[in-house]
This record gives sequence, structure tokens and C-alpha cells, in this order.
Amino acid sequence: MNQLKYKLVPQGAAEGRVPINLAYIDKKDVDAAGMYMKDACTLVAKDLNAPASIDVIDLDAVTVTSDGIMAPCAVVAFASADRGLINPEFGFIGVSEKPYSTQIVKEEPHLRQWNTEYYHGRRLYRGPYGSDMLPRWSLNETQTVTGRIANNNTGSEVMNVVDMTEVLTPIFGMHQIMHDGEVLIGMSGPEVSVGIGMIVREHNGRIFGWGSVPAGGTAHASGIYAKTVKSDCAIIAATKSTHAQFVLRALDCGMVVARDISSSPVNLAIARAIGAPMDLDNISKDAWVELESVGVTRQWLESKPEKLLSREELVAQADDILPGIEDGKKFKVADISEVRYVAY
Amino acid sequence: MRLMHTPLPDFYEKLKNAAKRLRPETEVSIRGLENVKTAKLASLRVGRVENEILELTQDPDVAKIEVVLMDRMPETARTVVIKSYDKNGAGKKAILENIYITTPAVECELEDMESVDDRRGQLGVADPV
Repeated sequence: MNQLKYKLVPQGAAEGRVPINLAYIDKKDVDAAGMYMKDACTLVAKDLNAPASIDVIDLDAVTVTSDGIMAPCAVVAFASADRGLINPEFGFIGVSEKPYSTQIVKEEPHLRQWNTEYYHGRRLYRGPYGSDMLPRWSLNETQTVTGRIANNNTGSEVMNVVDMTEVLTPIFGMHQIMHDGEVLIGMSGPEVSVGIGMIVREHNGRIFGWGSVPAGGTAHASGIYAKTVKSDCAIIAATKSTHAQFVLRALDCGMVVARDISSSPVNLAIARAIGAPMDLDNISKDAWVELESVGVTRQWLESKPEKLLSREELVAQADDILPGIEDGKKFKVADISEVRYVAY
Repeated sequence: MRLMHTPLPDFYEKLKNAAKRLRPETEVSIRGLENVKTAKLASLRVGRVENEILELTQDPDVAKIEVVLMDRMPETARTVVIKSYDKNGAGKKAILENIYITTPAVECELEDMESVDDRRGQLGVADPV
């Protein structure tokens, strides 16, 4: 009998910090099984027989974070499971592939990261397109729903809409989960809340389309309330030192903060710490209101730190430099997850 | 033409009558449209629901019928109308926003059912990947 492997971060893991079951499947294992990702998610849903999100991750692909940092993996399908089922109409979405072109790299300058040695030749997944979300369409969020579980924004926000708990699962956290690395789990806090709204403009992006705001703007446009909209939920992120290394890859290939990549508090704090270029004139008035609400002011950004940090020093001191996440605690993924197998 | 769609009060009445047609003591509960005060419902579907209620009550063990109306899509968009008035009650400015709302999906209403017969019109689903 064949078996499909998946990894589960169970509800209650990490000393009770994880509020919802989170299941992950490696795309390679789905391909080895010779089945559709939808069928793989259905198998896992039946095996779990509990409320859970299910994400299929391609570790050879790339995607882009909200704030414009390229990541060395992508959610290529995501699902919501409850009571052993996946809702046949709303419970599963496959993420769209965006083919490489010189034109799209020209129009979306953050995609120059795609040309670097880390990501060159990899397949990019984002969106998905409205047509890949049927029967949902562009009016809807990129969200699957089955029973109590909503898996939103292409696998990065998981909710239980009955007990109304939520957990943010940004892509670098998922990358660590897949690689048995280390994660930082806590409450998102005001800086993450503000940062989530500071995006890069993309054709059919993960959350917003081409009509949205460019780097330097804010998609929240919530003024002083931006710091509260996503501040009060659990988050499973990469450690700050790991996150810093991915941002450094972006900065080292010439990304200018607030012009090519977004003006999120993390991007700005890293750029200031190492003296990387920031286009502060490109930050919109609305974005300044949100940044200032969490203490990121133009005066602070223009002031030189006592000593500019080297790349190595930034990574070593990342816990002190990168803002965001309250009451965070680091956990080895092996200590908070379990590998399971389902027969097919 | 006025009969092509059923007024909301008639809808409630028709469903209750259908539930009690065989046994007047049958308990009836209808929920899900509490915030809707005036509306018209597609008459063809009203007739089907009446007939399906009658079908369920043909089981002599059935003592209660519960009808729940949910959004067909568990995640929907609403228009938000934010209005301001002066002290005399005259309208000043309105701002329109939209907001998404995700509600529990249909599985949450089915957990205690022995069997489910899905007669809804099926929606087009994206090709599997």
C-alpha cells in the first residue's frame, strides 16, 4: 500500500500558542504519488478528520512576500478541511503560475530578485487568477472555506470562523516548517499589523492586483488603526535572523526600500541598520501615518545609527533590530510538529 | 408576473404550512434571514423547498423541521454605507466601503445528519491541479 507523507503542526503545539491544526504537504510527494494536489488534500483531510488548513508547498518554486521579498518556496495549492471533508466548491484552490518575462521584471522591479543566483530559473506562483479560483472570482479573497476553517490569502492566514481564532503563517515560517528549521511563534503585534499592508504592486498578486498601491504606499489605508487590524493573532514566522537573511538577499541585488520593495517596518529597520538605500520621499502620506503610529518616523530613519552593521552583525543582532511579534518564543520545528502518513 | 417571486412573509407561511401539512404538531424552525425585512424569493425554489419539507415529514419519526438559509458562498462581500447626519437629522455625507465576511460553511449545519441529499445547482469549479 502506498503512503502520502504530510507534516502537522497540531492545535495546541508550541506550549498552546498554535490555535488551529496546520497541515503541510510537499509538492514532490504529491507528484511521486501521481495524483492531483486536490486529491492529496482530500486524503489528508480524511486522515485528520479535524478542522485544519492544508497547504501544498513547492520547495523548488518561488513566491513573493507582501512586502516584496522573494522566498525560496511557494504555496502552490491550499485547502480548508473539517470533519474529514474538503468542501467540493470552496474548500480548495490551486495557485497560478506566473511565467517569467523581461517585461514583467521591468514593470515589477522587485522581481529582479528572480534573476539572482538564489532564484533564477525557478517557477513563480502567486495570485491565483480569478479563473483558477472558480466558483470564486476576483471579488472574493483568495480563500478556501470548509466548515469552520477558512484558509486565506493563499495559505498565509488561517481562521476558525466559529471560535474566531486565527494564526498568521507567513511564507518564511512555512519554509522553516518544511525544512525542519526553527520558527518564532508569538502574537503578531502592531509592527506586523502595519507591515502587512505595505505591499508591492503586482499583476494579479497574492492579495492585490495591479490597481493597488505601489511600494511606499499602504493597502491598509487605515490611518492610526492600521497597527491594530492584524495585531492580535498568533503568528508562526521564521526567526528574525533567518528573515533578515532573506531581506539581505533582496537588498544585495539592489532593491531600494520604499521604491522596489515595500516600506514595511522590517524592511526599513534593516535598511537603516546597514545603511542600505531607502526612498523616503516615495513613502505616501497615508503610509507615514501608519509608520509613525508604531514609532517609525522620518527623523529616526534619517538619523544614522551609532555604527552601521555588517551583514553578519545584522543577522546576529536581528532579534534586537527587526521590529514585530510580541511574546515571541523560538521553537525547533521538530519539537512542535509531527510527520504523518496516509495510505492511498 | 407578481407571482413569479414570493413575498418574504408568504415564504415563511408556506414553509410552516408544508411542515405541518401531514402532522400539525410538527415543530418548525426557520432561521438565517433575520436581518432581511422585505424581500422576494424565487417561487420555483419556494415550491421545491415546500415539496422537500413535505418529503421529509413523510417519515413518521420526524417531529421537527429546521430550515436554515445560508449564503451560497461562505465568503461574500458587503457594501458598507457609513452615513453622517446633523443635529436636525438631515443627511450630510456618506462614505461607501466594501467588506468581506467569511461565515461557517455548510458542513457546520450537517454534522448531526444521518444522510445528506445535495440537490443544489452545482457551481462551476476550476480544473483540478
